[in-house]
Formats: sequence, structure tokens, C-alpha cells
Amino acid sequence: MIAMLPKGAAMPIVLNVNGEDRITLSDPLTPLIDVLRDELFLTGAKAVCREGICGACTVMMDDKPVMSCLVPVGIAAGHDIRTAEALSGEGEPSPLQRAMLDHDVVQCGMCFPGMMVTLTDFLEHTPKPTREEVKAALVGNICRCTGYERLIDAVLAFAHRD
Amino acid sequence: MTASQAGDGQALYVATSLGDAVAALAARAPHAVPLAGATWIMRAPIRQERDHRAIPYVAIGAIDELRRIDVNDHEIVIGACTTHAEVAARLGGLPDCRGLAAAAGNAANPAIRRIATIGGNLCAVKFAASDFAPALLAAGARVELRSPGGMRKLPIERFLESRSTLIPGSLLVRLVVPRGQMRSAHVRLPLRKAGDYPVAIVSMAAKLARDGIAGEIRIAVGSVEPVARRWPHLEAELTGRKLDADRSHALAAADAGSFSGREAVEAPGWYRLQVLPALVRRAVEILQAQP
Repeated sequence: MIAMLPKGAAMPIVLNVNGEDRITLSDPLTPLIDVLRDELFLTGAKAVCREGICGACTVMMDDKPVMSCLVPVGIAAGHDIRTAEALSGEGEPSPLQRAMLDHDVVQCGMCFPGMMVTLTDFLEHTPKPTREEVKAALVGNICRCTGYERLIDAVLAFAHRD
Repeated sequence: MTASQAGDGQALYVATSLGDAVAALAARAPHAVPLAGATWIMRAPIRQERDHRAIPYVAIGAIDELRRIDVNDHEIVIGACTTHAEVAARLGGLPDCRGLAAAAGNAANPAIRRIATIGGNLCAVKFAASDFAPALLAAGARVELRSPGGMRKLPIERFLESRSTLIPGSLLVRLVVPRGQMRSAHVRLPLRKAGDYPVAIVSMAAKLARDGIAGEIRIAVGSVEPVARRWPHLEAELTGRKLDADRSHALAAADAGSFSGREAVEAPGWYRLQVLPALVRRAVEILQAQP
């Protein structure tokens, strides 16, 4: 296929997103978030600050939460990318997402997909966190609605439900 | 070896070995730039720098040789493409590396620390708030650079001073930190409690005798001036005397004016100087509390 491309055409970049191989012809320095949203129509991750401060664009890359606004798509090639859309299965919220709904945590929703990606990874590694540990995990996820306390309450209630 | 071609523009060359990277940088000299974690380079549009997509980047983040951390009794060798999170995790349990571990473990925020590399941090010439630069100055580290001409070693001070004029094609390969009986501390003042860049940083390493006398001490200041540097006057005043927090604070206050505080949107220059004595005091107290 590559040999058939006209001279000067973009080189395809193959990404594995949510378990599927996807191809983009974007410039390799294009932020991953833009390919996810504009080409693959995975709009869970949000492009907000574009400087790695707010965390609204957080996705998993090789099982690590990263800011997709600062990952060039050319570097993401060959890595396992999972977005907020992969957190739920069969259209059902994940147990953590269900807990957020039950505790009425969601406000405007802009930060929330990034929060859920960060917290899902955090709870896998720290299943029984303290309040301070939850706060530290969310240092890179900013909520302009300032709904932190209710969110932390919900995370602790979910993690310590037994 | 792979290359991603952006239409008729420049390629992002993804190097697979150190030799491959050095050759690729040389072939694209003088404009080629190494790309590691990319967290600084991807923010070029926000800094209103010239279109960074016109720069031929050589991606080095996947090179195994640059991603190693080797620890022995005499030194710690940190590959340029290790991330802040990896350095914090590896050095966290070493009693003589508390300063470096704190620098790596508190920079930026968790997601950035997972991809931002130590080498990229040091090579971002315009980034004044680097945590690792003052920590390495206090640790007495050296850097190793590779170019087609071979390997070159430099003290971290000389690297920081000269990095913008290094020979095109030079690649920062690793950092070497000598080990000893030094206590170390890294104290930073961000505007928020965490997840922010520091207004000022004081990194300190000292060899303390049982009676508390500082036989050797290195103090470095970051984020106050455009480039981190040692504080030689304060080091001289504290060496050979019993380390004392009040005295250190007073000496720092008397000599803080030897720095030129940089003006920036998050803090004026005078404020950076104003907080330095308090940071020195905290660093001394941390050193004193260490076994």
C-alpha cells in the first residue's frame, strides 16, 4: 500500500486504539488528542489546556495514564492506546463510573473522562487509598467546577465499600 | 528504523539505537533536534515559537540504552531518556539520593512525570524551572554527550552554561552522579501545593560530621534566574561550621541579592529572591533531620 502512495504523500501511522488497529495520515507531530477526536471520533478525551496541566485529555498508553495533548501521534505508533470509551463494556458504565453516578459527582463533565482514566489506573495499583493518596493521584486533573471533595468522597466510598 | 513523513515537510525519524540516533542527527545537522518525551517540544505553539513542524526531529525515546538506570556503590548512571517517574521510583529508596528523588518525584504532575525525560528536561534551554538541574548541581553530577566525534564528558555546570552552543548533532546520553556520604534535600516553592512549576528551588547536599559540622556542602538555586546555578558565597560561609538553620537563613537573606530574579507572569523577580532564605532554612532542617 505504501508503495502506491504518490510522491510526497503522508506516511500512514498505525495506532492500536482500544484494541483495534487504526490508521492516520496526520503529520507525526500532531497531538494524539486531535487524531483521537477529529479522525477516530473518540470524543471522551477533551483538548482543554493543551499544555499538560489540566488532565482532561488523559488516556492510557501502554497501561500508563498520559496527557494525549503532549504525545505526538508519530510516537504513539505501536503503543497500546486506551481511551475513556474503553472503560465501559457493552455500553454499561464500569463499577467506578457507576459509583460516580450513584454519588452524583458529575458536574459539567469536561474533566470527567480524564478523571476516570486516571482514577481507574490509580485504583488498580492502590485499591484501598487514603484521602491524601487520592488527592495526590489527581494533582494533574483539574476540575473547573471545583467538585473535588464530592469526587474524593465517592472514590473512597467505592474503594472501601467492603 | 522507521520514519514518519509529513507530506513534503520534514520527517520525524524514530531512531532504534544510539548509533542510529547519532547518525540521524548528524545527517540532519545543523537543524535536527532530538525528541524524547516531547512534553516541552509539543508546547512550542503555546510559547509562540516558530513552527516546530518545520524542524527535523529525531525521536530517541525508544532506545533501550538511553532508558537505563544503573546503580553501584560508587555512582548512579541515569540514561537521558528515563522518565521522572522512573528516576523517582529507582532512587527513592537510596538514603544518599533523597534530593534527586524529590526533584524527580515532585516535578510537574504525575502524568507528565510518566513521559517527560530527564534528558529532555535538561536540554530544554528556555525552561528555567527545571527541578533536576539544581538537584544535579547539588549532587555534583556530570553529563556524557555523544556525537559522531565520540564521547565527551562535562560537569553539569559547564553543560548548563554551554548547552545552547553545543556542537550540532551532540546528544545527551547519560548523567553520572557520584555516591558518597552526602545528605541531600530538594526544596521547592510552587504557587499551588503541587502540580505547578516552582517559583524558586533550593537543592542542597552536605557531608555532615557527627558534631553537625559541614565538611563539604553544595547549594544550588533553580527557577530564580534563567539557568540554575550554585551559590558559592553561601557554600563558603557554611562550610567548616556547624550547620544551623537560623544562621543559614540569615546568611541567605544577606546574600540573596547576588541573584537576579527573573520576571515572569507567575511571579516577579523580587519575590523569587524574597523566598530564598526560607527555602534555605527548610533545606538545612531536612538535612539535619536525616540519619
